[in-house]
Amino acid sequence: MTEQAGGARAEWLRGLNPTAKLAAVLLLGAAAMAFPSPVLGACLIVVLFVVAASSGMLAPFAKLMVGFGIPVTIMLLFIQGCYSPANVTFIADLGFARLGLEGVMSALQTVVTLLVFLGGFYLMNETTYTGELVADLTSRGLPPKAGYLVLASLNVVPQMRRRMATIQEAQVSRGLDMEGSLVSRLRATIPLLGPVIMSSLTDAEERSMTLETHGFHLNEVRHTSYVVVHHARADRPIVVIAVALFVVSLAIRIAALAGLIAI
Amino acid sequence: MKIEVKNLVHEYIPGQRALDGVNLTIEGTEPLAIIGQNGAGKTTLVKHFDAILRPTSGTVVINGRDLSELTCAQWAAQVGYVFQNPDNQLFLETVRKEFEFGPRQVGMDEARIEKRLKHVAELVGLADKLDVNPADLSPAEKKFCAIGSVVMMDCDVVIFDEPTCGQDLEGNARLERIIAALRDAGKLCITISHDVKFVTRCFPRAVVMCQGKVLVQGPVEEVFSQVDLLKQSFVVPPPICRVALGAGMSQAVFSVDDLVERVRKERNNCE
Amino acid sequence: MSEAALRVEDFSFRYRDTKRYAVRHLSFEVPQGGFLCVVGPNGSGKSTLCNALVGLIPHHFTGKLHGTVSVFGSDVSKKTIADLSTDIGFVFQNPFNQLSYTANTVAEELAYGLCNRGVPRDEMVVRVEAIAHTLRLDGLLERNPLELSGGQVQRVALGSTLILNPKILVLDECTTQLDPLGSEEIFDIVRALNEDGMTVVMVDHDMERVARCADTVLALRDGNQVALGTPREVFGMAGLEEQGVDIPDFVRVTRALSASGLADGDIELTEGPTIERVREAMGR
Repeated sequence: MTEQAGGARAEWLRGLNPTAKLAAVLLLGAAAMAFPSPVLGACLIVVLFVVAASSGMLAPFAKLMVGFGIPVTIMLLFIQGCYSPANVTFIADLGFARLGLEGVMSALQTVVTLLVFLGGFYLMNETTYTGELVADLTSRGLPPKAGYLVLASLNVVPQMRRRMATIQEAQVSRGLDMEGSLVSRLRATIPLLGPVIMSSLTDAEERSMTLETHGFHLNEVRHTSYVVVHHARADRPIVVIAVALFVVSLAIRIAALAGLIAI
Repeated sequence: MKIEVKNLVHEYIPGQRALDGVNLTIEGTEPLAIIGQNGAGKTTLVKHFDAILRPTSGTVVINGRDLSELTCAQWAAQVGYVFQNPDNQLFLETVRKEFEFGPRQVGMDEARIEKRLKHVAELVGLADKLDVNPADLSPAEKKFCAIGSVVMMDCDVVIFDEPTCGQDLEGNARLERIIAALRDAGKLCITISHDVKFVTRCFPRAVVMCQGKVLVQGPVEEVFSQVDLLKQSFVVPPPICRVALGAGMSQAVFSVDDLVERVRKERNNCE
Repeated sequence: MSEAALRVEDFSFRYRDTKRYAVRHLSFEVPQGGFLCVVGPNGSGKSTLCNALVGLIPHHFTGKLHGTVSVFGSDVSKKTIADLSTDIGFVFQNPFNQLSYTANTVAEELAYGLCNRGVPRDEMVVRVEAIAHTLRLDGLLERNPLELSGGQVQRVALGSTLILNPKILVLDECTTQLDPLGSEEIFDIVRALNEDGMTVVMVDHDMERVARCADTVLALRDGNQVALGTPREVFGMAGLEEQGVDIPDFVRVTRALSASGLADGDIELTEGPTIERVREAMGR
């Protein structure tokens, strides 16, 4: 989506094939999830930090990871650590509840997996033009309708946000008080969602007419794209490593479940 | 009624002036039109009149009271604003609820709301559609519903943004009646419009904006006589006025009857 | 006689779930290279007619239909909208709803219809540049379409339609949301295209413009065809305003001059001749 973020140093990430990036993010996230301990995920997070730093995006990346990571970790540690039914080994007594090792590990596993996905997607999003990704996927056989859904939904959100602002403005000018506490602002906002959704639907109707009159449903032809799709020499090794990590993690998880190895 | 705008500057993006030092005094309650190209700053200017926007610098004083003294919601009792797109303004389930919403927000008593409702619904032509969901109205009716919901609030100043957009002959005639009714009730009606025919039919005075500044203002006859000045702002006088000026009449004329009358006079002078 | 670009024969249509026919018994033809303007009050069926011409009726909007609409001799209802889009381009009122919402630059937006047709990228680039030049969008190709002004977006919408080289262009009040300068820009382009042989059907509310440009005017009221003919024939008809159909102010002026005995002769449709008439009446 963003064109300039990261500046020139993000170039090498930008030059990668978008599908390769997507595949790598998904596979690494899946590997972190499959691996039967948070260790792999933690390592991958370190790798992502290195990649972010090498692309000149360390500050915003760190802000996102910490800003999301800390509250989620605390929340999950509390919920799963104290209340997971899997808890048998208790490592601390908080007075009102006891912290269980199994719950803690499972919470950490979830957190690192989420962070790998989040960080991966962030880096990808910052260095990939979505239009390019969709063009690449379409040329690889993704149905144009699916591609359209991805692109259109990305563009509709900012559009809806703009409309929400205008509608709010209109109501404030009719005496609706939008200042004051969060609760009262929220209460004032909810009824305004109706017209936002309604008008988005009306727009969608007209837009679908536009698409049709521009030949969107000409099915027999393969759609082409105006966007230039990047390819880089590093694409293949990156995907291969990601696949390998995922397969190995999955194998270890299966082996652990089957009792062949102990974690 | 007096609105004083002094050195008003507004920047949406720092460094880019949407309003570049507007000085304007609006006195009395004669309907006033604001015309000019898109991007000339018309909407930005009027959004300062009910504090939807705050000046980057400069002041707006309404009846001696500085705009910054109250919030937008508080100004709502005095200044009503009808947005260009009614879909951005209507959000309740029935026309009646839309009409009652604004007055209740500004604390009008129920008896008065009831009384005004009948009158306003009649004026905007929605008397038999009070229980209809605004979403089911035609685009033109939606516009009138938005207008009605603001007129209901009985503000001293009512602002319309492009009311003729999407209206036909009948709709324009109704708008003309609404503006006349506001004038008769002693309300100041300020209207942004591209439609110069409509402007010259309903508004005795106009302000022409160009590139964030007031280019020319005054009675419409004077404003539209200054063809060269208008060209700067890409405003073209309405057809009848062009005919009159083209035929060598010294002053702008806007109605067919006035034009014929003027022709008759000129003819008598010649004979 | 060459085949008509558009032929509408006794066409009536009622949208599904509505009681009233939106249009009734419309019959007219537009020759190749013709310029038809459709006028009439709101709700008179102008948009319905446009939807029918481009095939949105009956393919997108369903309902009860009688009669036929044919484009270059073939029945619209027997083709798909996508197929029709190679012959007939459509631009409607709200410019922002005509963006595909898949493009982050004007160039991509313009190329959208070509992508759907599998046109190779090299050819796309050439055609995008050509159309951008025609529509004076050259400097905007790398901009995000959502950040343009209404007039610019409408030019992009027109461009993304014209890039498909349609033979017929249907414009449904496409300048309503633009300022006078923006409208004139669009309009000059349409006129030039018409002079180059493109068939144009335009719904418009600016009667002076209609009188200046149309070779045929179709007036609708409540879904019925109330007048069809040259601008002079249609706007010369008595009682059109009582039907809610607007007429050019030049017609009003020249008619009033005749009625008050200050001039004689027929109505005038455009500014120049009207000025002449007024000068004469003034005795100059």
